[in-house]
Amino acid sequence: MHEHFKDNDCDKFPVAMAYVPWQEFNGMYDDLEKAYCAGTIFPELDKPFTGRRCVS
Amino acid sequence: MREREQLLRDIGMADFVLTELALFLDTHPQDRRALEYFNHYNRIKIQMEKEFSQKYFPLNLRLTDCGKEWRWGEAPLPWEGECA
Repeated sequence: MHEHFKDNDCDKFPVAMAYVPWQEFNGMYDDLEKAYCAGTIFPELDKPFTGRRCVS
Repeated sequence: MREREQLLRDIGMADFVLTELALFLDTHPQDRRALEYFNHYNRIKIQMEKEFSQKYFPLNLRLTDCGKEWRWGEAPLPWEGECA
């Protein structure tokens, strides 16, 4: 299943299906206080709502 | 009181990290590094819980080491205004 989601030419996938890229482990926040307040230990999942645009 | 609150907060943070890592490991059971992080923080949390339970009061029944007297009731009750 992992390989299938790794290539990114999306036209191969059927429409109306949701696809979530597979998360790889590349470390976590060292500062646990920051992780605790961010609500995640994974920097790649730390996407605070800024009220206007999406945080990449 | 300060030190007790800080230790309790640290236990809570360690628990949060373990929950996050467990969620990741549920879908990535073979990930070595995530496993090492989990074991690392698990040892830390267990150690802090023991320390807290000896110094202040047992956080749960499992941590109650009935030396000479029953200490399970020593924890402040939630409705007594200061929840632990």
